[in-house]
Amino acid sequence: MVSRLEPTTGARIAHLFGHELRRLASGWAWWGMLLVLAPLVGFGYVEAVRLYGEASVTALQSTELARGLTPLDGIAVPTFGAFYLATTLLFPFVAIRALGQDKESGALKLILQWPLPTALTVATKVLAVLVAWTIGLVVPLSALGHWLVSGGHLGFAETANLILGHGLYALTVCGIAFFAAALTETAASAAIVTLAITLGFWVLDFASGSGPEWLRLAGELSPTQALKQFERGLVSIPHVLGLAMLGVGSTALASLVLSPGLTVAKKVVRLGVGSGALALGLVLASVVSGSVDLSDDRRNSFDPADEAVLRQMSKGLEITLFLSRDDSRAREFQTNVLAKLRRLVPGLKVVWGDVGNTGPFGAAHDDRYGIVTYDYGGRRVESRSNSAREILPILHELASVTVVASDLPPYRGYPAVIDPTPAGLWFYGGLPVLVLLLGWRWSHGRRLPAHLRDL
Amino acid sequence: MIGLEVVGLGRCHGDTRVLADVDFDLRPGEIVGIIGPNGAGKTTLMECLVGLQPARTGVVRLDGIPIDPGARSAAMFYLPDGIMPWSDQPVWRVTGLFRDMHGSGRDREVTVLRRLELAPVLSKRVGELSKGYRRRLLLALALLTPQPILILDEPFDGFDLRQTLHVMELLREVAAERALLLSIHQLKDAERICDRLLLLDAGRRLGFGTLADLATHAGATKLDLEEVFLGLTA
Repeated sequence: MVSRLEPTTGARIAHLFGHELRRLASGWAWWGMLLVLAPLVGFGYVEAVRLYGEASVTALQSTELARGLTPLDGIAVPTFGAFYLATTLLFPFVAIRALGQDKESGALKLILQWPLPTALTVATKVLAVLVAWTIGLVVPLSALGHWLVSGGHLGFAETANLILGHGLYALTVCGIAFFAAALTETAASAAIVTLAITLGFWVLDFASGSGPEWLRLAGELSPTQALKQFERGLVSIPHVLGLAMLGVGSTALASLVLSPGLTVAKKVVRLGVGSGALALGLVLASVVSGSVDLSDDRRNSFDPADEAVLRQMSKGLEITLFLSRDDSRAREFQTNVLAKLRRLVPGLKVVWGDVGNTGPFGAAHDDRYGIVTYDYGGRRVESRSNSAREILPILHELASVTVVASDLPPYRGYPAVIDPTPAGLWFYGGLPVLVLLLGWRWSHGRRLPAHLRDL
Repeated sequence: MIGLEVVGLGRCHGDTRVLADVDFDLRPGEIVGIIGPNGAGKTTLMECLVGLQPARTGVVRLDGIPIDPGARSAAMFYLPDGIMPWSDQPVWRVTGLFRDMHGSGRDREVTVLRRLELAPVLSKRVGELSKGYRRRLLLALALLTPQPILILDEPFDGFDLRQTLHVMELLREVAAERALLLSIHQLKDAERICDRLLLLDAGRRLGFGTLADLATHAGATKLDLEEVFLGLTA
């Protein structure tokens, strides 16, 4: 027998992880993504800085206008918006390569014989791909670095939350890509399947906006909808759980498909059970409540004194809206009032009144159109307002309480006029050249290790 | 001296039986060759044996103890034919990965690379290797694994005569420590290196034993594997 030192499972995982990272760095898929990211993110950032600066010129003269200028909306979200595009359209190719290429080249038949469980092998590959994605964060973070160095403001918690959201979204895309690669025979087929799913979420978002109730509920589970919560500075537990489950669940399904020695029938059964469990998990995650508002301007919250009262309204508040969902007033009501109430009022029930299927224009002849009714403790109040300032007193009246506003200082806003030219030079020139140089250097750095040099 | 026993290994693709209750055994230190025409089920047999493909029937025992498909990779390593793993990586990184995953040690890696004369191509990417060097690299990977049984699909494919003889000599040395199961297309090669032969056709075992056993079974006039092959597969 061959004398050897049996490596531990941890050591094997570390070797595989290093190998996967080296492979990612050896292939042009990852470097190509970084190369495209530079001008893409750069354009998003430079335009955001320009527009933010234009708005700030006026806002600097007015305290009220300044309050509307938040770096989260004005700078961070547009910059990461470009990164989101790259994660959706380019990152799947990087992820698929880690598994699809092994299937195509036959390496998978060797890997599956290694003394590592299939699930651990797949998880290690996913981890390496996510580390590669994280390195790509250097591009948008360099934009935010420029913003800070130039005197701009960023709220740490809301920015970190935004990055967390994009990280969870990347995990989801990666999981889907691995699942597609496990199901299909070639990397090209896997790419088509992955893009069909990720772009399908866009279609779902669009359709759920005006579609029937079941489609709206399905749309709530979409990763792009979940990401919007993070973009509003909200850590929403159901959305965090949903994204994490979709990513980890898809990865688990991939390892189920790849497990060697299974008949097609067994694979189908395993896949069916696994998919069912994942779907159930997603549904359960969607009914979990809990969220934390990390936004600097507390846009997802009411005044703390109002919130304390609303949390006590446990007799079952029912809100009925005689509005079409497409109506801008309904959308505004949902964002400014309903989203916040859902976070606070226990057992809140929202009913959409029958306004026909003709939309806001067709329903205009109905006198009740536009009314919102509030039922609580056997009392009812009607209002046509969609402003929290007018609605909160109604709710206080229903709860028979008087609220004294807290002395929380108002959000002051952060107007800033910053020259984006240096960032433009970095993103359109310096960074792409640096990526090309590093990519070239890595692909040519093949120095033999010491013990093989004298062979 | 028990080794590996395979009893009634069978596999179906839908209604088609691709492997029909194949029996054979492999003793420690022995080289058994699987021969047969194209589509005989040689690769299917090897992949079922190691647990990569599901077998419908059959028992595999190691030293008399049945082993489940999921546990077989601890006892045997299978090297498929026609693969080009990690083509974008230099050779030394690929051998280093196998060394690390199996804990083979640097000395063993150096010995294997030296014996397979891979030094000139260590810095080349796997995808840049000639067919012969690629085959040598794959053999090196197999030799860096610790399992007591090595299963190699077409180990001499891509080698010229001199290289084939050199690799045969090396495999004979390996067989002193491990048992080898080789799928061999070229009958002359099989005749040169194998102690016993398993002849398959259309998934069925047509014969198993030494060349002399097979010749008797085929009613051949001389100890010639080609004549045996033609006689039994007619």
